[in-house]
Amino acid sequence: MMTTRILLADDHPIVREGLRSVLQRRPGCEVVGEASDGIDALKKAESLQPNVMILDVTMPRLNGLEVCRLARQRMPDLEVLFVTQHDSAQMMREALAAGAKGYVVKSNAARDLLDAIERVSQHRVFTALTTREPDAGD
Amino acid sequence: MKLRILLADDHEIVRRGLCALLQKHEGWEICGEATDGREAVEKAKELKPDVVIVDIGMPNLNGLDATRRLLQYDPNFKVIVLTVTDADQVIREALDAGARGFVLKSDAARDLVAAVEALQSRHMFFTPRVNDLVLAGFLEKGHAASRSEPPQLPTLTPREREITQLLAEGRSSKEAASALNLSTKTVETHRSNIMRKLSLHSIRDLVVYAIKNKIIQIEMPMDSNHGAAKVSPPSQ
Repeated sequence: MMTTRILLADDHPIVREGLRSVLQRRPGCEVVGEASDGIDALKKAESLQPNVMILDVTMPRLNGLEVCRLARQRMPDLEVLFVTQHDSAQMMREALAAGAKGYVVKSNAARDLLDAIERVSQHRVFTALTTREPDAGD
Repeated sequence: MKLRILLADDHEIVRRGLCALLQKHEGWEICGEATDGREAVEKAKELKPDVVIVDIGMPNLNGLDATRRLLQYDPNFKVIVLTVTDADQVIREALDAGARGFVLKSDAARDLVAAVEALQSRHMFFTPRVNDLVLAGFLEKGHAASRSEPPQLPTLTPREREITQLLAEGRSSKEAASALNLSTKTVETHRSNIMRKLSLHSIRDLVVYAIKNKIIQIEMPMDSNHGAAKVSPPSQ
């Protein structure tokens, strides 16, 4: 089984710890690094070459949408999955327009994260807002 | 005997992170989890944990009101409040509610273990900013004797605060009644009392009041730069 290398970027260490503990349940998922702000996230994406970057939208120094745009320009094979508190169709559209393939809301992240990682690592779209059923579209 | 901890946060991913952090400590165990304030109070009564960790911003019953309820039920409960903000008002309310620990979520990975250890040793744990505020409060009291006290703002009863939260979260009187096991008529009576006491004229006013007084929390509105100043990306 191919390993999915994952970079976690969120300014709350407790959230990163929670994401890590969920990801550890899935064999084949490896967390290769963590970042606590947007600039650090970009630097680590370039140096660690993950398959998937899990991003928060609101981060210090450079927000997640900007990180996504820049990362996708520089590293087109890198896929981005947003895990965010913004339970908003508008924000989700902006995230997808910025080049993300996945968007899940933090309140349901424990439920949706593994499915989202699986889809996004296969370059497929996965979105889930609390008001809508998860959409594992292509 | 292990120290038993109850976690209350509406985000499972945060609870997973807290569990992972706290369970590294030998001698501690997570005896239960709750997803809102009401459940936190019920589980605390049932499980009798040594320490209760509550997020302030929870639906149904927020963390501060849950803390008040717990301590009214049993003043021996030891509660640590977790919050995204250390605004003066929030700190005051947490202290008034009887919390013995106050930790910022952004610093939880650093401070929460120390906070639990402090409560385990029957001490309190507050961030330096809270300590500063408490000290400033003591100093101000010393100067206040010569000043006339400002008029007291009307305060809500615990039940009225509960109903304020549910209504501000968008529930109807009927839904609030169902959540609280009251009749709709009773909720509507409380609602009228709340509006009259606080001189409010609409649900919108109630929502604004609830936000200002941290009865409910909202996500920060995103500006056009989505919450962070744009900076130049690292050069190649």
